Amino acid sequence: MKVGLVSPYDFATAGGVNDHVRHLAVQLQNLGHETRIFGPSSRADVGVEAARFYRIGTPIAIRVNDSVARITLSFHLANEVAAIIAEERFDVLHFHEPLMPALPMTMLRMSTTANVGTFHAFARSNVGYFYGRPFLEPYLQHLHRAITVSEPARDFVQRYFPGYPMRVIPNGIDLSIYRPGLPPIRHLRDEHLNILFVGRLEKRKGLGDLLRAYRAMVSRLPQSRLIIVGDGPLRGRVESYVARNRLPNVVLAGYVPERVKPRYYNTADIFCAPATGAESFGIVLLEALASGLPVVATEVPGYMSVLEPGRDSITVPAKNWRELAASLVILGRDAELRRRLGEYAQQKARRYSWDLVAAEVVAVYHEARKALAAQPARQLEVSGVHNAV
Amino acid sequence: MGEWTWRAFKVVQSIVERLPRPWVYALAVLAARFAWWFSPLARPRLEYNLKVACPELEKDTASLHRISWLNFRNHAKAYADLMQLPNAPVEAMRPRLKVEGWEYLEEARSYGKGVLVVSCHMGSYEVVAAIWSATLAPVSFFAEELEPRALFEWYRETRARLGISVLTLDHGGIRKVLEALRDQEMVITAIDRDITGTGHVMPFFGRPAPIPLGPAAIALRLGAPLLPVCVYRLPDDTYMAEGTPLIYAESTGDSRADQVRATERVLRRIEQFIQAHPEQWHVPHRIWAGSP
Repeated sequence: MKVGLVSPYDFATAGGVNDHVRHLAVQLQNLGHETRIFGPSSRADVGVEAARFYRIGTPIAIRVNDSVARITLSFHLANEVAAIIAEERFDVLHFHEPLMPALPMTMLRMSTTANVGTFHAFARSNVGYFYGRPFLEPYLQHLHRAITVSEPARDFVQRYFPGYPMRVIPNGIDLSIYRPGLPPIRHLRDEHLNILFVGRLEKRKGLGDLLRAYRAMVSRLPQSRLIIVGDGPLRGRVESYVARNRLPNVVLAGYVPERVKPRYYNTADIFCAPATGAESFGIVLLEALASGLPVVATEVPGYMSVLEPGRDSITVPAKNWRELAASLVILGRDAELRRRLGEYAQQKARRYSWDLVAAEVVAVYHEARKALAAQPARQLEVSGVHNAV
Repeated sequence: MGEWTWRAFKVVQSIVERLPRPWVYALAVLAARFAWWFSPLARPRLEYNLKVACPELEKDTASLHRISWLNFRNHAKAYADLMQLPNAPVEAMRPRLKVEGWEYLEEARSYGKGVLVVSCHMGSYEVVAAIWSATLAPVSFFAEELEPRALFEWYRETRARLGISVLTLDHGGIRKVLEALRDQEMVITAIDRDITGTGHVMPFFGRPAPIPLGPAAIALRLGAPLLPVCVYRLPDDTYMAEGTPLIYAESTGDSRADQVRATERVLRRIEQFIQAHPEQWHVPHRIWAGSP
């Protein structure tokens, strides 16, 4: 099959959806399918080894859902997109966040092939979905099959589009990349207990709560170290908080290259995910589980769809830094508990192997193609015909 | 480096890491010009070292000045690279690194005992190691502890981001070097300066100088070969890492003599590197007695 993967987000910046698209492209190629990736990019030198990358549109930063989405809002993409679709003749177009302007929506409008959409997002509410429902519903009709990465993400979409059929296929993890036994960052692997945070430094990831919890726990576990992997708008505030409170042993690693990231998981003893909400899944949790790390996380719906408290993790209510500190101390003092949680975590991560996930996605592609074959042929839009000619 | 110098360094670094590379190089060249004219000790020491390494410069003052100026210029660019490292898109920098002598690296790897790279303070070896670590394979540095502590922590953190472990020359550091080599990692060290003051005095460019025996001792203990690598900057500001034939440390039962013999062989190779690229050997420090 020839598959086009469409991402709305800036491909030059790290993020869960783009990671998903990259890995899916690799897996599809391994399964013998031909893939192309479409996305906006703020840098020209962005590329993906497994697939040809079409850079379409210039991303701009928009505040949404306690985070910053870098998407393109150019609605002049239609001609360019139509020409590529006509030339490539895809068997399937797979839209990630299909209702996100402007690239996925534009391509979805242009597409005459089997369309599959994956919804990744979760939030308390979505003003765009609420007010834009009459406008967005026709776009949903263009999708032949829809996927969500978790049950909370499915419930979120169905809150605005009741009864819309969706299949839950979780995010995947590459178990050959994230696994125990990789070389650690050696100078960080000493007598200290390493607590690892991985994520963008933005409010919804809850790093503020983790810093407060760490401040409270260092007196009880002086031999601990907090390693923060990731960059973002709150970097300056994090640095000043650490300096102001003289927090010992805090390593601000910043953005870490993808090849190096798995080694950070192998440097850590505990993984902490203190998000305050708005997480649909949490790929970092899978990375930690696959690396055999016990997890301390907040009870946000997306995380709870992955974690089994008491078996692979300890969970605490969101925004409760005192309980977060207490859990870190309990886990920090109990090596046997860490070992037991870590062992189960590693075993459980096998369920999320990309091999299994990609096979499920391909099955959905086949269903979408059957659904397309069963419906009457659709006319190309005028601009599409113009470019195709 | 004192506390205030470190703070000044951090301020300059935080500005430099946000500037485009050509601007930073332009500023670096300006700073190099200033330092070359006004540094009270660095230039006399460097020129002394260059005269020992390249005796033909002894009588050719014009060439000596030209090479020492180029050396300052390259050194300033290496510092600029170092300052840009925390924010540099290292994965995208892979095309800037050219490698020759892959076969020696593969040969070293084939022994399954890690790769112990020996080099000297030359070129932008920091950037080369960073690109290598972020795109090819894990790297550990075997390096001296810097003063003040905050500088050393910054140095370690910026390298850790790129997957480089910075191991100190103390007992714990050596244990970790052995662990890294046992795990088939690459450990990089320089032997052209004796930082700890425990080096063995042996001829370096024909004159007695203290040289660390640590790499040879580790090679003997693990039975791992030593891979001499020359790193230098090319005229287009890309980087070259040139691997050369492996050196095998042979054990005869007298460990000290074995270490000295292996180190001498490595040192001859290092001398060739320095003589081939004297304008890139960044050592404005005291190596030989009689230096300013």
